[in-house]
Amino acid sequence: MEINDLQRHLIIKDVIAQLIKNDEDVVMNLWEPLATQIISIVGEGGFNSLFLRTIYLNQATFPWLAVSLLSTQTNQQLMNLKMNLDKQAPAQLCEANSVLLITLTDILASLIGEPLTIRILQLAWGVELLTKAGMEFNDE
Amino acid sequence: MVINRDNKKGSSDNDPGHLDVPGSYNDNPSVQDNAITLRENALIDDKTTLLIREKLVSAREDAANFRENAASLREDAIYHREETVLQLEDAADLPECKAPLSEQDAQSAESMLAASDDHLKLLQQANAHLVIASIEAHKMAEQVQMAKDQLAHLAHHDVLTALPNRILLLDRMNSAIELAARQGWQLALMFMDLDRFKYVNDSLGHAVGDQLLQSVAQCLLDSARHSDTISRQGGDEFVVLLPFIERAEEAALCAQKIIVALDLPHHIDGHDLHISVSIGISIFPKDGQDAESLIKNADTAMYCAKESGRNKYKFFEPEMNIRAVRRHSMEASLRRALDRHEFVLYYQPKIDLNSGVIVGVEVLIRWQHPERGQILPTQFVSIAEDCGLILPIGRWVLREACLQAQAWRQAGLPPISIAVNTSALEFHAENFLQNIRDTLQEACLEPHYLELELTESVLMRDAEFTNTVLHELSDLGVTLAIDDFGTGYSSLSYLRQFPIDTLKIDQSFVNRIINSPDDASIVSAVISLGKSLKLRVIAEGVETSEQLAFLQAQQCDEVQGYYLGRPMVAEALASYLRTGVIPLS
Repeated sequence: MEINDLQRHLIIKDVIAQLIKNDEDVVMNLWEPLATQIISIVGEGGFNSLFLRTIYLNQATFPWLAVSLLSTQTNQQLMNLKMNLDKQAPAQLCEANSVLLITLTDILASLIGEPLTIRILQLAWGVELLTKAGMEFNDE
Repeated sequence: MVINRDNKKGSSDNDPGHLDVPGSYNDNPSVQDNAITLRENALIDDKTTLLIREKLVSAREDAANFRENAASLREDAIYHREETVLQLEDAADLPECKAPLSEQDAQSAESMLAASDDHLKLLQQANAHLVIASIEAHKMAEQVQMAKDQLAHLAHHDVLTALPNRILLLDRMNSAIELAARQGWQLALMFMDLDRFKYVNDSLGHAVGDQLLQSVAQCLLDSARHSDTISRQGGDEFVVLLPFIERAEEAALCAQKIIVALDLPHHIDGHDLHISVSIGISIFPKDGQDAESLIKNADTAMYCAKESGRNKYKFFEPEMNIRAVRRHSMEASLRRALDRHEFVLYYQPKIDLNSGVIVGVEVLIRWQHPERGQILPTQFVSIAEDCGLILPIGRWVLREACLQAQAWRQAGLPPISIAVNTSALEFHAENFLQNIRDTLQEACLEPHYLELELTESVLMRDAEFTNTVLHELSDLGVTLAIDDFGTGYSSLSYLRQFPIDTLKIDQSFVNRIINSPDDASIVSAVISLGKSLKLRVIAEGVETSEQLAFLQAQQCDEVQGYYLGRPMVAEALASYLRTGVIPLS
């Protein structure tokens, strides 16, 4: 079953909403495994470039993201992101995570294509999670 | 083998089957024995031949088998080689796979594995660079697009106010005219110019002036409909396009709304600034069929609004063009007036209230036009300022006045001071100070007989520069008066800061001192202030004996006005100077 970009967006929103609802850490559960997978393919420099571009594109919406730009280390970047996200209310937390992950995966998809992006997400977050969510959205 | 076959062929003559000699030896026993022996030998030979043949067949079969075995061995060798290559390839593809390899193969596989790791790292690095380069390319494309958008915006918008500029206005006007012509609609164009905006720039500086323009732009946007176009033409000129109106009265309502909106104070840089606007309105299709003529006619109507008192709107009328042509004609005449010696100086006496003696005169210019007669400064000074002629005219006035003062002295008349009005343009002119020095030197006039009258707006602009120039003038000996005191900012700080000698109370206060207690109080307060600061105070515009009595009672130092003496030519003033006294009523 192929997942298109719109479905990917819905899946990301759904996964984040579920994690936040279950009081689970989004950075640890989504950002870190995704970073690991992306770094294995494009290196840390590549991931940082994607990440910083994502932050830049969303600074106007979330001005508090600006402080994350201070570091160039992936771990530090994600730690800063977590610190900033933790200060936000759940609704804002959910929205910011969704927008950021959608932006990052959109950029990635524009560079390597949708199928490869979905494959990376499957490797990072598990095939079942994405497949199940994708099917749910297909059924709708 | 061939030999054997030949031998065998040779022996075939003994073969019984082939013997063809009947009865030749059957009849002879020895021959028969020999024949038997030959047959036995032949049998033996046949057996031997069979054995040989069998051996030959066997040998052939062995040879075939050998060949087959050799081929099989070669195939095995090839298979082994291929298998080895596949194992090596497998080893390279799956490092974790432990294929049974020889020591040499294992070494080869290890080196290939190491090479694969290096390749993976290189691929990762290449990917990283590709990602970074792609994102950088995106950023650059975005920046280029932003720059393009900004350039497009700059080409069609005013930088200061972000309003559409003239180019965009013309574009929208052309579209609106086309649509209005097709639909039979009317449209209105309002040309507006801020009243006395120059004085804000002159007195408070361009930074404040720019902020005021931005505030006005916002005010206009708030007053207009979404479909209207508000444009800044440059300077303090704005144009509003109403692309669809049913009646001209709608444009009048809009103009009135703008006048009221702009009447509110603008809070800028700690100042509450008041500004008014004069608006000219032209209507399509009545007042013009194209954008250019509509703008021109609205501009003409705006000038009429200004001339008729400012802070109002006027609809264009064809007769206005005649007045506009007259204005242009006046500008052209003004340029020739200096060369043709058409300007004349008039002198209005200033009287010391204690002694009743003429202590000075204010120099006033008149234009003796060859066709239109005498023209007052109010009718041409603003034109002279607009076209820059005020500087040569100002220099001429100063020189003529100084020469006249010296002429009176040389004629034996009592020395008096001459007061010359100085505009902001002259005060800020590059060679202003040098021109004063040169003129005094040329006229051989002592500097303390020259008084420069400056308005508050001149002093308020660029305090540091003003302070420097005023102190240099004061050091030179020239006296300084603040003209129209009370009508501008009336800042007390500059009275303390600048070397001022005289306060000149504006005639608008003097005119009302009898009927308006407030104005009377203001005049009294200014006189007291002057005395406290050891400044001379002079009241201008004294036209009645009551006014004079009030000023005397308040111990004003000097007075000036029609009641005491109208402006007069030099010869007439000389007569007064000879008597020395003007009788006060």
